[in-house]
Amino acid sequence: MAESANGNVLVIPCSGIGKVHGLMAREATYRVVDDLEPEASDTLCLALLVKGDEEAVKAVRTRPCITIDGCPKLCSYKNVQLAGGTIAESVRVVDAFKGRKGAQPGTATELAGDGWTITDEIAQQIAARVRELCGGKER
Amino acid sequence: MAEEPIKVGIISCAGEEIPEGTISRLAVRRVLEHLRPGQTVSICLPLFLAGNEGEREFARNFSTITIDGCDKRCAQWGTEKYSGPVNAAFVVTEILKDAPPLSGARSGRNLTEADLAAVDLVAAQLAEALDQAAGTYTGSQPAAAGASSVCGCAVGLPSGAIQVNGKTVEIAGLPLIFQQCQEDGLAADSPDTPARLLAVVRVYHAVDDSEEQAYAAALVEAYRTSLASDR
Repeated sequence: MAESANGNVLVIPCSGIGKVHGLMAREATYRVVDDLEPEASDTLCLALLVKGDEEAVKAVRTRPCITIDGCPKLCSYKNVQLAGGTIAESVRVVDAFKGRKGAQPGTATELAGDGWTITDEIAQQIAARVRELCGGKER
Repeated sequence: MAEEPIKVGIISCAGEEIPEGTISRLAVRRVLEHLRPGQTVSICLPLFLAGNEGEREFARNFSTITIDGCDKRCAQWGTEKYSGPVNAAFVVTEILKDAPPLSGARSGRNLTEADLAAVDLVAAQLAEALDQAAGTYTGSQPAAAGASSVCGCAVGLPSGAIQVNGKTVEIAGLPLIFQQCQEDGLAADSPDTPARLLAVVRVYHAVDDSEEQAYAAALVEAYRTSLASDR
Protein backbone atom coordinates (compact mmCIF):
# COMPACT_ATOMS: atom_id res chain seq x y z
CA MET A 1 0.00 0.00 0.00
CA ALA A 2 1.23 3.47 -0.76
CA GLU A 3 2.36 5.47 2.21
CA SER A 4 0.63 8.76 2.77
CA ALA A 5 1.46 11.45 5.26
CA ASN A 6 -1.73 11.33 7.32
CA GLY A 7 -3.89 8.85 5.43
CA ASN A 8 -6.50 8.44 8.14
CA VAL A 9 -9.49 7.30 6.18
CA LEU A 10 -9.40 4.63 3.49
CA VAL A 11 -11.68 5.18 0.52
CA ILE A 12 -12.07 1.86 -1.26
CA PRO A 13 -13.95 1.63 -4.54
CA CYS A 14 -15.22 -1.54 -6.13
CA SER A 15 -13.27 -2.68 -9.15
CA GLY A 16 -16.19 -2.98 -11.54
CA ILE A 17 -14.81 -2.91 -15.04
CA GLY A 18 -17.88 -3.71 -17.11
CA LYS A 19 -20.15 -0.77 -16.40
CA VAL A 20 -20.01 2.97 -16.00
CA HIS A 21 -20.90 2.70 -12.31
CA GLY A 22 -17.58 1.03 -11.52
CA LEU A 23 -15.68 3.79 -13.29
CA MET A 24 -17.65 6.39 -11.35
CA ALA A 25 -16.75 4.69 -8.07
CA ARG A 26 -13.11 4.74 -9.01
CA GLU A 27 -13.10 8.35 -10.23
CA ALA A 28 -14.98 9.56 -7.14
CA THR A 29 -12.28 7.90 -5.05
CA TYR A 30 -9.48 9.67 -6.92
CA ARG A 31 -11.28 13.01 -6.60
CA VAL A 32 -11.33 12.56 -2.83
CA VAL A 33 -7.88 11.11 -2.21
CA ASP A 34 -6.01 13.14 -4.84
CA ASP A 35 -7.83 16.48 -4.76
CA LEU A 36 -10.35 17.06 -1.99
CA GLU A 37 -8.80 15.38 1.06
CA PRO A 38 -5.35 14.17 0.03
CA GLU A 39 -3.87 14.29 3.51
CA ALA A 40 -6.81 12.79 5.32
CA SER A 41 -7.58 9.94 2.97
CA ASP A 42 -6.00 7.25 0.87
CA THR A 43 -7.08 4.27 -1.16
CA LEU A 44 -5.94 0.69 -1.58
CA CYS A 45 -6.34 -2.07 -4.12
CA LEU A 46 -9.43 -4.08 -3.37
CA ALA A 47 -8.02 -7.19 -5.05
CA LEU A 48 -4.96 -7.04 -2.83
CA LEU A 49 -7.22 -6.99 0.20
CA VAL A 50 -9.29 -9.89 -1.08
CA LYS A 51 -6.09 -11.79 -1.77
CA GLY A 52 -5.34 -11.49 1.94
CA ASP A 53 -2.30 -9.20 1.76
CA GLU A 54 -1.27 -8.67 5.39
CA GLU A 55 -0.61 -4.96 5.07
CA ALA A 56 -3.92 -4.33 3.34
CA VAL A 57 -5.86 -6.35 5.92
CA LYS A 58 -4.13 -4.50 8.74
CA ALA A 59 -4.94 -1.17 7.11
CA VAL A 60 -8.69 -1.81 6.89
CA ARG A 61 -8.76 -3.10 10.44
CA THR A 62 -7.03 -0.09 11.91
CA ARG A 63 -8.42 2.77 9.86
CA PRO A 64 -12.00 3.84 9.15
CA CYS A 65 -13.09 2.76 5.68
CA ILE A 66 -15.53 4.28 3.24
CA THR A 67 -16.57 1.82 0.55
CA ILE A 68 -17.95 2.87 -2.84
CA ASP A 69 -19.75 0.26 -4.91
CA GLY A 70 -20.97 0.51 -8.45
CA CYS A 71 -23.35 -2.43 -8.54
CA PRO A 72 -25.60 -4.33 -6.14
CA LYS A 73 -23.04 -7.04 -5.59
CA LEU A 74 -21.33 -4.60 -3.22
CA CYS A 75 -17.89 -6.17 -3.66
CA SER A 76 -16.09 -3.43 -1.83
CA TYR A 77 -18.44 -3.32 1.15
CA LYS A 78 -18.59 -7.09 1.50
CA ASN A 79 -14.87 -7.67 1.10
CA VAL A 80 -13.87 -4.98 3.57
CA GLN A 81 -16.37 -6.45 5.98
CA LEU A 82 -15.01 -9.96 5.40
CA ALA A 83 -11.48 -8.73 6.08
CA GLY A 84 -12.63 -7.45 9.45
CA GLY A 85 -12.50 -3.79 8.43
CA THR A 86 -14.37 -0.95 10.06
CA ILE A 87 -16.83 0.50 7.56
CA ALA A 88 -17.72 4.04 8.49
CA GLU A 89 -19.81 4.59 5.39
CA SER A 90 -21.01 2.55 2.45
CA VAL A 91 -21.76 4.53 -0.70
CA ARG A 92 -23.59 3.11 -3.68
CA VAL A 93 -23.18 4.84 -7.01
CA VAL A 94 -26.59 3.65 -8.14
CA ASP A 95 -28.21 5.64 -5.33
CA ALA A 96 -26.81 8.85 -6.78
CA PHE A 97 -28.94 8.26 -9.87
CA LYS A 98 -32.19 8.54 -7.93
CA GLY A 99 -34.18 11.47 -9.23
CA ARG A 100 -31.96 11.74 -12.30
CA LYS A 101 -34.05 10.04 -14.87
CA GLY A 102 -32.46 10.24 -18.28
CA ALA A 103 -28.96 11.04 -16.99
CA GLN A 104 -26.28 10.02 -19.48
CA PRO A 105 -23.23 9.14 -17.40
CA GLY A 106 -21.05 7.82 -20.22
CA THR A 107 -19.53 4.38 -20.58
CA ALA A 108 -17.37 1.99 -18.60
CA THR A 109 -14.41 3.51 -20.44
CA GLU A 110 -15.13 7.21 -20.32
CA LEU A 111 -17.48 9.44 -18.36
CA ALA A 112 -19.68 11.99 -20.07
CA GLY A 113 -20.81 15.31 -18.56
CA ASP A 114 -23.56 13.82 -16.37
CA GLY A 115 -21.17 11.10 -15.24
CA TRP A 116 -18.56 13.61 -14.08
CA THR A 117 -21.20 15.76 -12.38
CA ILE A 118 -22.63 12.86 -10.42
CA THR A 119 -19.15 11.54 -9.66
CA ASP A 120 -18.10 14.91 -8.26
CA GLU A 121 -21.23 15.03 -6.11
CA ILE A 122 -20.43 11.58 -4.73
CA ALA A 123 -16.88 12.73 -4.08
CA GLN A 124 -18.06 15.83 -2.21
CA GLN A 125 -20.31 13.67 -0.07
CA ILE A 126 -17.43 11.33 0.73
CA ALA A 127 -15.02 14.18 1.40
CA ALA A 128 -17.48 15.63 3.91
CA ARG A 129 -17.64 12.26 5.64
CA VAL A 130 -13.84 12.06 5.66
CA ARG A 131 -13.69 15.45 7.40
CA GLU A 132 -16.31 14.31 9.88
CA LEU A 133 -14.34 11.16 10.65
CA CYS A 134 -11.25 13.23 11.19
CA GLY A 135 -13.09 15.33 13.74
CA GLY A 136 -13.81 18.21 11.42
CA LYS A 137 -10.21 19.33 11.54
CA GLU A 138 -9.23 22.03 9.09
CA ARG A 139 -6.42 21.13 6.79
CA MET B 1 -24.76 -9.40 -27.47
CA ALA B 2 -21.69 -10.86 -29.08
CA GLU B 3 -21.98 -12.07 -32.64
CA GLU B 4 -19.41 -14.82 -32.11
CA PRO B 5 -19.02 -17.17 -29.17
CA ILE B 6 -16.95 -15.66 -26.40
CA LYS B 7 -13.80 -17.74 -26.09
CA VAL B 8 -11.43 -15.79 -23.92
CA GLY B 9 -11.76 -13.94 -20.65
CA ILE B 10 -9.42 -11.15 -19.61
CA ILE B 11 -8.94 -10.74 -15.89
CA SER B 12 -7.54 -7.35 -15.09
CA CYS B 13 -5.82 -6.20 -11.98
CA ALA B 14 -8.06 -3.78 -10.11
CA GLY B 15 -5.08 -1.66 -9.13
CA GLU B 16 -7.02 1.26 -7.70
CA GLU B 17 -3.98 2.37 -5.80
CA ILE B 18 -1.46 2.63 -8.62
CA PRO B 19 -1.31 4.37 -12.02
CA GLU B 20 -0.56 1.02 -13.68
CA GLY B 21 -3.96 -0.19 -12.47
CA THR B 22 -5.60 2.53 -14.51
CA ILE B 23 -3.47 1.60 -17.52
CA SER B 24 -4.44 -2.07 -17.25
CA ARG B 25 -8.11 -1.25 -16.90
CA LEU B 26 -8.12 1.10 -19.90
CA ALA B 27 -6.14 -1.38 -22.00
CA VAL B 28 -8.74 -4.07 -21.30
CA ARG B 29 -11.53 -1.69 -22.23
CA ARG B 30 -9.71 -0.87 -25.46
CA VAL B 31 -9.50 -4.55 -26.35
CA LEU B 32 -13.16 -5.11 -25.48
CA GLU B 33 -14.46 -2.13 -27.41
CA HIS B 34 -12.07 -1.52 -30.26
CA LEU B 35 -9.44 -4.16 -30.91
CA ARG B 36 -11.40 -7.38 -30.44
CA PRO B 37 -15.05 -6.44 -29.94
CA GLY B 38 -17.32 -9.37 -29.22
CA GLN B 39 -14.48 -11.83 -28.78
CA THR B 40 -13.72 -11.45 -25.11
CA VAL B 41 -15.17 -10.51 -21.75
CA SER B 42 -13.63 -8.96 -18.70
CA ILE B 43 -14.06 -10.43 -15.28
CA CYS B 44 -14.33 -8.40 -12.11
CA LEU B 45 -11.32 -9.52 -10.07
CA PRO B 46 -12.47 -8.93 -6.48
CA LEU B 47 -15.74 -10.65 -7.27
CA PHE B 48 -13.77 -13.53 -8.74
CA LEU B 49 -11.40 -13.71 -5.77
CA ALA B 50 -14.25 -13.46 -3.30
CA GLY B 51 -15.68 -16.69 -4.61
CA ASN B 52 -18.27 -15.87 -7.23
CA GLU B 53 -18.85 -19.24 -8.84
CA GLY B 54 -20.16 -17.80 -12.08
CA GLU B 55 -16.94 -15.91 -12.68
CA ARG B 56 -14.74 -18.82 -11.62
CA GLU B 57 -16.70 -21.28 -13.73
CA PHE B 58 -16.17 -19.08 -16.76
CA ALA B 59 -12.43 -18.98 -16.10
CA ARG B 60 -12.33 -22.77 -15.68
CA ASN B 61 -14.09 -23.44 -18.95
CA PHE B 62 -12.62 -20.78 -21.19
CA SER B 63 -9.17 -19.51 -22.00
CA THR B 64 -7.99 -16.70 -19.77
CA ILE B 65 -5.45 -13.91 -19.96
CA THR B 66 -4.44 -11.90 -16.93
CA ILE B 67 -3.07 -8.38 -16.83
CA ASP B 68 -1.59 -7.07 -13.61
CA GLY B 69 -0.44 -3.57 -12.78
CA CYS B 70 2.41 -4.62 -10.50
CA ASP B 71 4.49 -7.63 -9.59
CA LYS B 72 2.10 -8.65 -6.83
CA ARG B 73 0.20 -10.24 -9.71
CA CYS B 74 -3.17 -10.45 -7.94
CA ALA B 75 -5.03 -11.34 -11.14
CA GLN B 76 -2.68 -14.13 -12.18
CA TRP B 77 -2.42 -15.49 -8.64
CA GLY B 78 -6.18 -15.56 -8.15
CA THR B 79 -6.97 -17.08 -11.51
CA GLU B 80 -4.42 -19.86 -11.20
CA LYS B 81 -5.46 -20.61 -7.65
CA TYR B 82 -9.18 -20.85 -8.31
CA SER B 83 -9.58 -21.73 -11.95
CA GLY B 84 -6.34 -23.22 -13.24
CA PRO B 85 -3.51 -22.16 -15.53
CA VAL B 86 -3.85 -19.02 -17.60
CA ASN B 87 -3.04 -18.80 -21.29
CA ALA B 88 -0.98 -15.67 -20.86
CA ALA B 89 -0.05 -13.40 -17.97
CA PHE B 90 1.16 -9.82 -18.34
CA VAL B 91 2.43 -7.19 -15.96
CA VAL B 92 2.10 -3.55 -17.00
CA THR B 93 5.41 -2.50 -15.45
CA GLU B 94 7.21 -5.19 -17.47
CA ILE B 95 5.49 -4.28 -20.74
CA LEU B 96 6.37 -0.63 -20.20
CA LYS B 97 9.92 -1.06 -18.97
CA ASP B 98 11.40 0.52 -22.10
CA ALA B 99 8.56 2.97 -22.70
CA PRO B 100 8.50 6.65 -21.67
CA PRO B 101 7.59 7.02 -17.98
CA LEU B 102 3.96 7.34 -16.95
CA SER B 103 2.74 10.64 -15.57
CA GLY B 104 1.64 9.01 -12.35
CA ALA B 105 -1.99 9.99 -12.89
CA ARG B 106 -4.65 7.54 -11.77
CA SER B 107 -7.73 9.47 -12.78
CA GLY B 108 -8.93 9.62 -16.37
CA ARG B 109 -9.08 13.40 -15.90
CA ASN B 110 -5.31 13.69 -15.75
CA LEU B 111 -3.94 11.16 -18.22
CA THR B 112 -1.20 12.41 -20.53
CA GLU B 113 -0.17 11.45 -24.05
CA ALA B 114 2.45 9.13 -22.57
CA ASP B 115 -0.20 7.41 -20.45
CA LEU B 116 -2.47 6.92 -23.45
CA ALA B 117 0.41 5.58 -25.52
CA ALA B 118 1.06 3.10 -22.71
CA VAL B 119 -2.57 2.00 -22.88
CA ASP B 120 -2.13 1.36 -26.61
CA LEU B 121 0.99 -0.67 -26.05
CA VAL B 122 -0.57 -2.85 -23.36
CA ALA B 123 -3.79 -3.27 -25.32
CA ALA B 124 -1.88 -4.42 -28.40
CA GLN B 125 -0.14 -7.13 -26.40
CA LEU B 126 -3.43 -8.26 -24.91
CA ALA B 127 -5.06 -8.44 -28.32
CA GLU B 128 -2.24 -10.53 -29.71
CA ALA B 129 -2.38 -12.90 -26.75
CA LEU B 130 -6.12 -13.09 -27.14
CA ASP B 131 -5.79 -14.17 -30.77
CA GLN B 132 -3.32 -16.84 -29.79
CA ALA B 133 -5.53 -18.10 -26.97
CA ALA B 134 -8.55 -18.19 -29.26
CA GLY B 135 -6.61 -19.90 -32.04
CA THR B 136 -7.23 -17.04 -34.43
CA TYR B 137 -3.78 -15.50 -34.43
CA THR B 138 -2.98 -14.05 -37.82
CA GLY B 139 -0.43 -11.39 -37.03
CA SER B 140 -1.90 -8.04 -36.11
CA GLN B 141 -5.23 -8.11 -37.89
CA PRO B 142 -7.97 -6.35 -35.96
CA ALA B 143 -11.33 -8.05 -35.64
CA ALA B 144 -14.23 -6.97 -37.80
CA ALA B 145 -15.73 -3.76 -36.52
CA GLY B 146 -19.34 -3.51 -35.55
CA ALA B 147 -19.65 -6.38 -33.13
CA SER B 148 -20.65 -5.25 -29.70
CA SER B 149 -18.55 -5.59 -26.60
CA VAL B 150 -19.98 -7.69 -23.84
CA CYS B 151 -20.10 -6.76 -20.22
CA GLY B 152 -18.29 -9.53 -18.43
CA CYS B 153 -19.94 -8.77 -15.09
CA ALA B 154 -23.05 -10.51 -16.29
CA VAL B 155 -21.40 -13.55 -17.83
CA GLY B 156 -22.00 -16.69 -15.82
CA LEU B 157 -24.17 -14.95 -13.27
CA PRO B 158 -27.37 -16.72 -12.30
CA SER B 159 -30.25 -15.07 -14.08
CA GLY B 160 -33.95 -14.88 -13.43
CA ALA B 161 -36.92 -14.56 -15.77
CA ILE B 162 -39.79 -12.11 -15.50
CA GLN B 163 -42.84 -11.58 -17.69
CA VAL B 164 -43.00 -8.11 -19.21
CA ASN B 165 -45.95 -7.27 -21.45
CA GLY B 166 -46.37 -10.94 -22.28
CA LYS B 167 -42.69 -11.49 -23.06
CA THR B 168 -40.26 -13.55 -21.03
CA VAL B 169 -37.24 -11.43 -20.17
CA GLU B 170 -34.05 -12.84 -18.67
CA ILE B 171 -32.38 -10.56 -16.13
CA ALA B 172 -28.75 -11.35 -15.32
CA GLY B 173 -28.07 -11.42 -11.60
CA LEU B 174 -31.73 -11.24 -10.58
CA PRO B 175 -31.44 -13.78 -7.74
CA LEU B 176 -28.50 -11.81 -6.31
CA ILE B 177 -30.45 -8.57 -6.58
CA PHE B 178 -33.39 -10.10 -4.74
CA GLN B 179 -31.07 -11.56 -2.13
CA GLN B 180 -29.50 -8.17 -1.51
CA CYS B 181 -32.89 -6.44 -1.27
CA GLN B 182 -34.08 -9.13 1.12
CA GLU B 183 -30.99 -8.68 3.29
CA ASP B 184 -31.70 -4.95 3.30
CA GLY B 185 -35.18 -5.72 4.65
CA LEU B 186 -37.07 -4.50 1.60
CA ALA B 187 -40.70 -5.66 1.77
CA ALA B 188 -42.52 -6.64 -1.42
CA ASP B 189 -45.45 -4.37 -0.61
CA SER B 190 -43.42 -1.30 0.33
CA PRO B 191 -44.24 1.73 -1.84
CA ASP B 192 -40.50 2.11 -2.49
CA THR B 193 -40.06 -1.40 -3.84
CA PRO B 194 -40.99 -0.90 -7.53
CA ALA B 195 -38.61 2.03 -7.97
CA ARG B 196 -35.85 0.38 -5.96
CA LEU B 197 -35.98 -2.88 -7.91
CA LEU B 198 -36.16 -1.06 -11.20
CA ALA B 199 -33.17 1.13 -10.36
CA VAL B 200 -31.04 -1.84 -9.37
CA VAL B 201 -32.03 -3.96 -12.36
CA ARG B 202 -31.19 -1.07 -14.68
CA VAL B 203 -27.58 -1.38 -13.63
CA TYR B 204 -27.47 -4.67 -15.53
CA HIS B 205 -30.29 -4.43 -17.99
CA ALA B 206 -31.47 -1.76 -20.37
CA VAL B 207 -35.09 -0.80 -19.73
CA ASP B 208 -36.90 1.39 -22.20
CA ASP B 209 -38.70 4.31 -20.53
CA SER B 210 -41.98 3.22 -22.13
CA GLU B 211 -41.73 -0.13 -20.35
CA GLU B 212 -40.77 1.14 -16.92
CA GLN B 213 -44.09 0.46 -15.28
CA ALA B 214 -44.42 -3.01 -16.77
CA TYR B 215 -40.90 -3.89 -15.64
CA ALA B 216 -41.52 -2.52 -12.16
CA ALA B 217 -44.72 -4.52 -11.77
CA ALA B 218 -43.09 -7.70 -13.06
CA LEU B 219 -40.11 -7.27 -10.77
CA VAL B 220 -42.28 -6.75 -7.70
CA GLU B 221 -44.24 -9.87 -8.55
CA ALA B 222 -41.08 -11.93 -9.02
CA TYR B 223 -39.62 -10.48 -5.81
CA ARG B 224 -42.77 -11.41 -3.91
CA THR B 225 -42.49 -14.97 -5.23
CA SER B 226 -38.82 -15.11 -4.31
CA LEU B 227 -39.52 -13.95 -0.74
CA ALA B 228 -42.31 -16.50 -0.37
CA SER B 229 -40.12 -19.36 -1.61
CA ASP B 230 -37.41 -18.44 0.92
CA ARG B 231 -39.76 -18.69 3.87
